Amino acid sequence: MSWLPCGVYHENYKQDHRWWQTKFVWGKMIFLFLFVYVLFPRFAGLYWIGVANIIGYTVLSALGVQLLIGYCGQITLGHAAFIAVGAYVCALSILMFHLPYVVSMIIAAFIAGLWSVLFGLPSAKVKGFYLIMTTMAAQFITVDFILTQYVSRIGGRGVAFSLPPGTIKIGPWVIDNDVEIYYLMVILVTLCTLALANLLRSRVGRAWIAIRDNDIAAEALGVNIVKYKLLAFFVAGVFGGVAGAFWVCNLAALSPEHFMWSWSLWLVGVILIGGVGSIHGVFFGSMFMVLVLEALKFAIAPLAPTFPQLQMKFLFLKEAAFGLAICLFLLYEPNGMAYRWWQIKNYFNLWPFSY
Amino acid sequence: MSRGDKKGHYEEIEITEDLTLPKLLLRMAKKYGDRKVALREKEFGIWRPVTWAEYLKNVKEFALGLVSLGIERGDKVVMIGDNRPEGLYAEMAAMSVGGAGVWIFQDCLIDEVQYIVDHSDAKFYVAEGQEEVDKGLAIRDQCPKLKKIIWDDPKGMRHYDDPMLISFKEVQRLGRELDEKEPGLFEELVNQGKGDDICLLFYTSGTTGQPKGALLTHYNMLKMGQNLMRVDPCYDTDDFVSYLPFAWIGEQMMSISCGLQAGFTINFPEEPETAMENIREIGPHVMFANPRMYEQMVRNIQVKHLDATWLKRVAFNLAMKIGYHVADLKFAKKPIPWYWKALQYFAYLICHKKLKDHLGLSRIRHAYTGGAAMGPDHFRFFHAIGVNLKQIYGQTEIAGISVLHRDDDIKFDTVGKPIPETEVRITEEGEIISRSPSVFKGYYKNPEATAKTLRDGWLHSGDTGFIDADGHLVVFDRTKDIMVLSDGSKSSPQFLEARLKFSPYIKDAWVIGDKMPYVTAVICIDYNTVGKWAEDRGIAYTSYPELSQKPEVYELVKKAIVEVNKTLPPAAKIKRFVNLYKEFDPDDDELTRTRKLRRAFVAQRYKEIVDGLYSGVEMIHIDTTITYEDGRISHIKTDLRVQDVPES
Repeated sequence: MSWLPCGVYHENYKQDHRWWQTKFVWGKMIFLFLFVYVLFPRFAGLYWIGVANIIGYTVLSALGVQLLIGYCGQITLGHAAFIAVGAYVCALSILMFHLPYVVSMIIAAFIAGLWSVLFGLPSAKVKGFYLIMTTMAAQFITVDFILTQYVSRIGGRGVAFSLPPGTIKIGPWVIDNDVEIYYLMVILVTLCTLALANLLRSRVGRAWIAIRDNDIAAEALGVNIVKYKLLAFFVAGVFGGVAGAFWVCNLAALSPEHFMWSWSLWLVGVILIGGVGSIHGVFFGSMFMVLVLEALKFAIAPLAPTFPQLQMKFLFLKEAAFGLAICLFLLYEPNGMAYRWWQIKNYFNLWPFSY
Repeated sequence: MSRGDKKGHYEEIEITEDLTLPKLLLRMAKKYGDRKVALREKEFGIWRPVTWAEYLKNVKEFALGLVSLGIERGDKVVMIGDNRPEGLYAEMAAMSVGGAGVWIFQDCLIDEVQYIVDHSDAKFYVAEGQEEVDKGLAIRDQCPKLKKIIWDDPKGMRHYDDPMLISFKEVQRLGRELDEKEPGLFEELVNQGKGDDICLLFYTSGTTGQPKGALLTHYNMLKMGQNLMRVDPCYDTDDFVSYLPFAWIGEQMMSISCGLQAGFTINFPEEPETAMENIREIGPHVMFANPRMYEQMVRNIQVKHLDATWLKRVAFNLAMKIGYHVADLKFAKKPIPWYWKALQYFAYLICHKKLKDHLGLSRIRHAYTGGAAMGPDHFRFFHAIGVNLKQIYGQTEIAGISVLHRDDDIKFDTVGKPIPETEVRITEEGEIISRSPSVFKGYYKNPEATAKTLRDGWLHSGDTGFIDADGHLVVFDRTKDIMVLSDGSKSSPQFLEARLKFSPYIKDAWVIGDKMPYVTAVICIDYNTVGKWAEDRGIAYTSYPELSQKPEVYELVKKAIVEVNKTLPPAAKIKRFVNLYKEFDPDDDELTRTRKLRRAFVAQRYKEIVDGLYSGVEMIHIDTTITYEDGRISHIKTDLRVQDVPES
């Protein structure tokens, strides 16, 4: 239950379930939208827009992981595979069938969802570590085997799928620079967040949460576990597919290297740091991970002339920072940044008391 | 649903001798129909609205149902249960067919219920649920006039099969049948009513003896509401939360008299236990409660404040300092300089806004307290946080209210000035007497008491007081309770007790000292706050009696008493006290149902303690019995330590 100020009450359930219930929240959200849709793209430089695009891509990718791990309790370490499926299907349908971008994206999302269900099937039988193994299998079978060995060779283009500039467009809107990509990104992030948030408060979402909390109890309550688990995999795959299809427009050439197992792991890190079981957490985690990396780049820039090693081995530094961040979070903020956010809000909501 | 504080609409109605409460209901239902919400009840997580048209429909069906069950004009209908729309329907229905409503406190013991049902000659007993039905079934043999027991909450009622029982829904169904057969009957019955008919029979709590039934007419009730709202108008957009027992005149005053005249929305909480939470959700514009509710609020704040983190405590202390200063300026009717106004706004931002939000007083325009004395410290506290708390003085016999503070003229040691059409005088003996259109008809079947209370149209209150230089009425205490101290001066025990109760650790106090060498007190600690205090300090205890006798707790109470003593004249200073092994409880007849201390009774019951306090012993040995709500009796043997309070 969210905290409501005095004098806010509901006469029916429709009012009770409204997203934004007070003027304060309305104001806050309008400001947020204004900031994201108008102010930021207008006043931030190209560099920051580029960073925002990476954050947006991370958010889109992590939403599916959050759904599976945070809301349905199905630990996945192969989510990059479904993003890859989305990216490749989208690119293929544009290049080979000359379908419009939006249609390609929908097809990509759908196929990624089905692909995810295929690898989600073992979840009907296995849990925990064993499920992690099967999702990792998804990663290696899809990316390292099918994509690298077969799909990448379609049309004899070697290992790269490149989309000629101007091919990605929605109607008359050509998406060919960072600002256009930014707009596409915020629209997709808004839609996907809305979809997930609404799903979570529906019957489906409640079933997922029941399965996460205790699958046996959920089954006793009449939740069809297999059906809802597979549905979770499907929806997560769809989000992954959208993320992949979106990322196509930011990549000059598609290659399996973009969807390695480390990206799957990275996404799990995002939700661990952001907060498991929270949509806020996806955003906090994505921002944290991307911004920390950027800060790291800035930090080592002045050191580079003296220690050239730092720049050359930045990849390792990045991984080390990632590992350190996760360790610190698990030690000091095991519930993630979303929990801290909740506590800050509570601190002020309970003012001038502590409970 | 959030709304601004836009002022609504209030139009004074003309009260003729013909007007009755049900006629007013018909008029309001016609005026607002389905367009405005009359009642809300919190159920299943939402506030389910009842429009004025639905309100009338429910009343009509129930009234006609009563008619088919054989109610006649002048019959009494007893009601018992929580505050809920059905209770109001039953009450209005009884009035509609010319009967009178009698409310019984829900927690009354069986003998009290039996006394009232029998004495009022009630034919119908409207119970909320199984518990009240059981009480009704237990007394029916002693109350032969009782014809039907009507229940409304089906929980636990499945296996009850008794010809005397009938459900609320079934009565309404009978009513619908009758309405089909004789359309227009309801309106006809309502139109037969006269303003001078009895509408409510109110059993006054009475600090002595058996309750007396005060007869109030429609005219009494309507006039009282009108005169109250001439001072403080209520608007039809207002929200009001009805959570105090309907058997208390204050609740009738707001829900019936003012509610019907102003047309505001009455909200019923989910359960009595959730009332505070529900008040916060609604954020009422008007509130009337007994001092105990406000005392509880202050106590909660004080305890939570002690547990808050450093920064929050600092903000609270600062804001309270500013608030107290501004409130004192306001009490002294001095102009508030602009910089204090600015500081006050600052205090509002950093603390008072949130504080009022926590208490559910964000939108409050008028908060009234009445029914008992309230300490000046509590009063100052609410004004310091910017809540317009006002004292009401009145008796059930004058339909609840005769004297009230005006918004710009509040003095925390007075109860204010008489409302319009009301005269208040002080007799030569110092007794407060009043006269108004709301003075009652007399006590039911008790002409002696009526003659004693009602003389030449003047209502004799039994309270001692005086009128100060500003024309404010000051109520000293019940005449019979006033203490004559060792130096011959007079003092009010209620006042001392109210001062003591500002300590969060003291829930109840009983001050003794009439014609005694010095003043003493019997203290009931607050189990929750003292319990928490003890836990924080690692003091082990298992029960109330044990906790109350801990030396540390004695020290805690002593500190609170020393604090109060500082401001008292030497003769009124409390010299010795004991912590009682239990809280005062209405079930033990120690308090009235409206939580006033029954001094004569406790003085007799705790005679050993009084003797102990004045004999100089260190320990008082107690050997007594306790009655529980379900009628069980238990035996208590304990020792109470007497503690001296040092000078200053």
